[in-house]
Parts: sequence; structure tokens; C-alpha cells
Amino acid sequence: MLCNWGPHTAFQILQDKGAEIPPEVKMIRIPCTGRISKSLLFKAFEMGADGVALIGCEPGACRYGSGTAAARENTQDMREILGLLGLGKERLRLATFLPDDSELLLQFLKNFCRDIQSLGKSPLALGKATKPEAASKELLSDIISSHDVYACQDCGKCSSTCPLALSGKDFSPRALASSIIAGDLDSSYVNEDVWACLTCGLCYDRCPSGINFPEFIRDARRFFKKAGVDGREAHGGFFQSLMRAMSSPKIKTERWTWLPDNIKLDHESKVLFFGGCAPFFDVFFRHHLSVQTSDIIVDSLRLLNFFDIKPALLKDERCCGHDLLWSGDQENFLRLAKFNVDLIHSLGIKEVVTSCPECYRTLKHDYTNYGLELKFKVTHIYDFLEKEIDKGAVSFKKIDKKLTFQDPCRLSRLEQKADLPRMLIKRLKGDRFQEMPDSKAAAICCGNSAWTGCDSFSKALQVKRLRQAHGTGSDLLVTACPKCQIHLKCAMEDPFLGDELSMEMMDLTSLIAKTICWE
Amino acid sequence: MTDKHKKSKKEIIITGFGGQGIIMAGRILGRSAALGDRKESVFTQSYGPESRGGACNAQVVISEEPIRYPYVRHPDILICMSQTGYEKFIMQMTNETILLIDQDLVHLTLNKCDSFSIPATRMAEELGRKMMANIIMLGFCTTITKVVSIDAALDSVADSVPKGTEETNIRAFKKGFDYGLAILKGRDRKAVGKTGAV
Ligand code: SF4
Ligand code: SF4
Ligand code: SF4
Repeated sequence: MLCNWGPHTAFQILQDKGAEIPPEVKMIRIPCTGRISKSLLFKAFEMGADGVALIGCEPGACRYGSGTAAARENTQDMREILGLLGLGKERLRLATFLPDDSELLLQFLKNFCRDIQSLGKSPLALGKATKPEAASKELLSDIISSHDVYACQDCGKCSSTCPLALSGKDFSPRALASSIIAGDLDSSYVNEDVWACLTCGLCYDRCPSGINFPEFIRDARRFFKKAGVDGREAHGGFFQSLMRAMSSPKIKTERWTWLPDNIKLDHESKVLFFGGCAPFFDVFFRHHLSVQTSDIIVDSLRLLNFFDIKPALLKDERCCGHDLLWSGDQENFLRLAKFNVDLIHSLGIKEVVTSCPECYRTLKHDYTNYGLELKFKVTHIYDFLEKEIDKGAVSFKKIDKKLTFQDPCRLSRLEQKADLPRMLIKRLKGDRFQEMPDSKAAAICCGNSAWTGCDSFSKALQVKRLRQAHGTGSDLLVTACPKCQIHLKCAMEDPFLGDELSMEMMDLTSLIAKTICWE
Repeated sequence: MTDKHKKSKKEIIITGFGGQGIIMAGRILGRSAALGDRKESVFTQSYGPESRGGACNAQVVISEEPIRYPYVRHPDILICMSQTGYEKFIMQMTNETILLIDQDLVHLTLNKCDSFSIPATRMAEELGRKMMANIIMLGFCTTITKVVSIDAALDSVADSVPKGTEETNIRAFKKGFDYGLAILKGRDRKAVGKTGAV
């Protein structure tokens, strides 16, 4: 990818001279390297590139001032992500040239092509261009009847509890369901709203007909995706691309390279710890939200070690597939699921422990719901901790903070385990624990799910939630899902509200790990 | 380890007040050794006004060889579930005695020997029956002292408690047993100076 300005001139000189530009170079002219987001960089790989060179102007020569600096951050982050993904950092490079640097540019291109050749082909399977096929109406009517949406009584209870509707969005699950049933599939309203739902499950809790609206939406998205409707993916679809990439058969992720040395692991162990994608999130959001959600993984491992469990890890663990499943890509979800399950079975694992509520829900229920047979049990780390701590002889150091808690929808509602984190919180020695007005099964969502449909109403909802958190008079918001931290942190960055929303957050696992001790 | 620890004979005293199931605990311990572990054991009890709420105690001797004297002079293991019981036997403890106490009921006044505490009564209350504190204590004693094997202890608990309560009592036993494991683990960690998780 070549910036329009400086380097493009250099490239044209080479072309005019008839210089031997390596034939594998496919030049794409771009307005400025700073405009090439991480998701665009990654798209190039998804579309089959073996290597990507982002070529721009020297820092001082950028026409827009900050282009080169932004490109530097983006490539640095992307290189790290490519590393974790097992693609290799070296496949992405940033270089800068002045207009008359044509010879240097030629040399660079030759070297780069040589290096990429020595790395070989990219292990990413060529992403099938998602051709909108005529998504069959039968698929949709199957989806509607399998969730018995026809049983809707039009009572409107769902719309009156939906946090999105309550945050002022012109959105109604009831109306959405009736429009889909009525076959009003092309209206912009339906095409947009089907991606807006947070799949948080609040409405399902209230529905007198017991219609599982979040699962209905999940499956309906599959239909709309097939029909080529834009999935309103957040962050340019980066996370969907990343997770699709992980479903390539040849990929071997390297996601554990950063683990601290003093974590005790045992590759023979029959207990496996499933980490989830937090390491990718942290790199992606490093320059924006600076979240550290992989601490949750480290602290989970420390807690397992604390109770003398040295777990195994899946060396090339792939994404559990939660976000693909919930954003309408069932095919790739299933591929991920199969890879993970086969790998876990090949190690003879008896028990998989995870701290991510989404991985938990997906491994425990969705894998089996979609026909995979599991020869292992799935345990949430809170269940493990509650059982071990209950045996006694451990205590907790004092926490000089007043605590409140953000329920993760997957654990508290979809898995109906809202009491579990609370049992653990009550064991902690915080100054006090105060629930927010909407809590447990009635809790308000952190604002997004599966990286789709994030908009200003999601923000409004998050602001409301954070105000509730502040309203408890607490100074530490305890979370239980890496994504809650990410999305809520994002809301705290609201430039108009300044510091009003900001509040310290810590995952419950980390809070336990930091304060637990043997008596 | 000293000779005394190596010797095959173990002398145990369990003390508390009437109604705590002290005598029953002694009997279960004795039975575990004799029927389960195929050892010799002798069980004696001190009754009297105590069985109606005052101090009482049970004495058990367990050995690989025939036992010639049934009473305990210096206990290898002393289990105290009341302050009076503890004070009564303070003078009989040696510095090699292993002392097990219910931490909510006994306040240690002398640091003579190694001691292990457990909130047995509180745990029994949490399980729904205060009466089971003795069984929890037995579980605890089984991990800490290993004076009887766990299988033997479990069998004789199941045989000795009232019909229909076997399951809850086994649960209680396991609670005490796990608590013991946790305590021992905690001690190991302290010994190497690592009590936290991070
Ligand atoms: S799942 Fe949540 S966001 Fe979606 S319609 Fe129901 S309440 Fe609204
Ligand atoms: S709550 Fe259920 S029955 Fe009522 S309108 Fe919503 S989907 Fe229909
Ligand atoms: S809340 Fe922020 S981090 Fe979350 S999806 Fe929306 S924009 Fe992304």
C-alpha cells in the first residue's frame, strides 16, 4: 500500500524507467498511511496477501501532519497481533520514502519480497468472498419457527425492558420480531436493528411467551449475513476478521509467548486452562483504552497454581468462536469449535477451566448445541474458586475500596449464575459492597456484544450504567468479563463528559488473586 | 522424628462437654482403627454428671500390638472442643502432643506443642446441624494426624451415626478432612514464604 504523495512519485519513476519491480508486488494507492486502520491492514492478509508493506512519507513530510505517526502505531500493533496469531510479525512492514528515493524504494521492495518468499505462503486460508447468495426464505422461516417467535403476544414487555430502547434508541424487539415475521426484510429499519440488539437477554427474562429473543437474533443474523446485509461491525470488522482468520486450518497461534515465567504449567495435566482472546484485545486497544485484560488470564493461572493445580494450555488455542456465532457467521464458528474440541480431545483433557464468561458459555453450551460431543467438563473459574475457598484455611487481605459489580450477561443471565460472583465478593474484605439499582439478572449490559452495532445509543446506555455505578458511592467497579472492561472503559473516554464517568475497574479474578492468602 | 512418633502406639484424648458427641467421636475413632485398619484399639469414656452438659472426655489407644493399659497418661493427640476440657488436660500434654481445637470454643493459654485449629462448630452450623461438629473434627483429625485411614474412618462414620443421616455426616466428615488438607497446604506455603497468589 503506497501513499499517494511522496512514495507514489518514487514508484512512478521506477515504472517510467521500466525498473524490475518484483512481479508479486501488487501496488494499491492510498491517500495516506495514517488512514490505513488496523482492520484495513488485516483485510489485506484476509484477502490473501503473503506480506504487506505500508509505504508512506517520512515523518516530517506527511501532508496531513500526523499520518506517519498513526501508521507507526497501527503497524506496531498489527505486527504484534500477527505474532500472536502465528502469522509472523515479519509479514508486515512500514517504510517511508521521499519522492526521489526511487532506488531505495526498489531495493526495499526486492528485499521485502525476498524475505516474504523465505517465510513461505501465508497460512491464512483465502477468505471466501462473501457473495450474497439468495439467502433462502426457508432458512428464515425455520429460524422463526424454531424459536417459536410466532407465539409472540404483542404485549410489548420486551420493548419496555430493553436497555437500548430505554436509552432512547428507536428500537423495539417486538416490532423487529413482527417485521421479520411479516417478511419486511429489506427495510432499512430491519437491516439496521437486527445488528443493534445486544443479545443481552433481558427481554427473554420478561417475555411471557418465553421467546428466546437473543438466540432468535443470533440465528436471524445468519440469514441477513447470507443475504449480504452489512453487519454493522465495530472497528471496521477487525475482530470478525481476526476470528475468521483463526479458523484457517493451517494457522498455529502463538498466543502464550508473553506469559510470565513463574506461572506453573504442566503439559501432561488433564486440566486445561482456556484463556480466550484477551491478549489480542489488549494489543488492539493499547493506544486507545489501554486496558490490560490479559491480567485476568495471568491471575486465573496464579489462582490455579495457588490451589496446586498446574494446568495445561492449548499451545495453539483458537478463538472459542463466540463473536462469530453471535454476529451471524455460524460456518466459521463451527470450524473454530471443531478445531478446539479436536485439539482438547487429542490431549486427553478431562476438565477445561476458563475465566471468560463468553468462552464458558460457548464451550459449555454452544459447542454441544451445535452437535459437538465433548469428552470433558467445562468449569468456570468462579465455581472452582468457590469450591476451593469453601474448604477453608484461606483468608483475604483488606481492600481499601468500596465495591460494586457489573454483571456479565453471559454468566448472570444466559447461564443464570448471578449469585456465584457475589458469593466470592462477599468473601472479600472490601470496605463494603453495594449493588447497582439494576443488578443480577436485571443488570444493564456493558454496551456491546460480539462487536456489532455499536453506536451513540450504546454510549448513552453505558453512560447510564456508569452513573449507576457512581451512584452507589463505590470507588471500584468489579467486572467479570474482559469485554465489560473494554466497552465500559471506552465509555469513560467520552470527551464531553470528561472525568465524570471515570472509575477504577478490576476483574474479580484479579481482585481475588491479589488478596487471597493462606491463613 | 523422635522415637515417640515412630512408635506404633497412639494415645488420644477427646474432650468437650456433654451433648457434643465427644463419646461418639471416640468410639468412631476406635472402631475405625480396629475394624477398618485392623489394628488393636481400646476406648474408654469418662461419664458422670458430665453427660448432662458438663465436661466429658473419651480416651482411645490405637496400636499395632496388644494394648496392656487402657488409659491415657500423656496424649499423642489431644482434641479439645471446650475450654474446660482443654484446661483439664493442659498438664498432661507434652511438647510432642498434637493439639486439635475448635477455634471458636477454645482459647489457647499455653504454647506447649504444635496445635491446629478449625471452626468445627461453626462449620456444622453452616451445614445445618450443630451436632455434627464432632464428625467434622474427626475428618480434621484424620488429615492432620493420619491416625486412622480415611476409608476406615468413613466406613465407621457411616456405621455409627443414626440411620438416615449417613450422607450428611459423610459430608461433614469431608468438610473437616478438606479443611485439614487446606491447613496443611497453608503451612507448607508459609514455610517457603509464599502465602499469596501473586
Ligand atoms: S436481547 Fe437485550 S438488547 Fe436485544 S432486544 Fe432483548 S433486551 Fe434489547
Ligand atoms: S415480551 Fe415476548 S410476547 Fe411480549 S412482545 Fe416481546 S416477544 Fe412478544
Ligand atoms: S463500546 Fe467502544 S470498544 Fe466497545 S464496541 Fe463500541 S466502540 Fe468498540
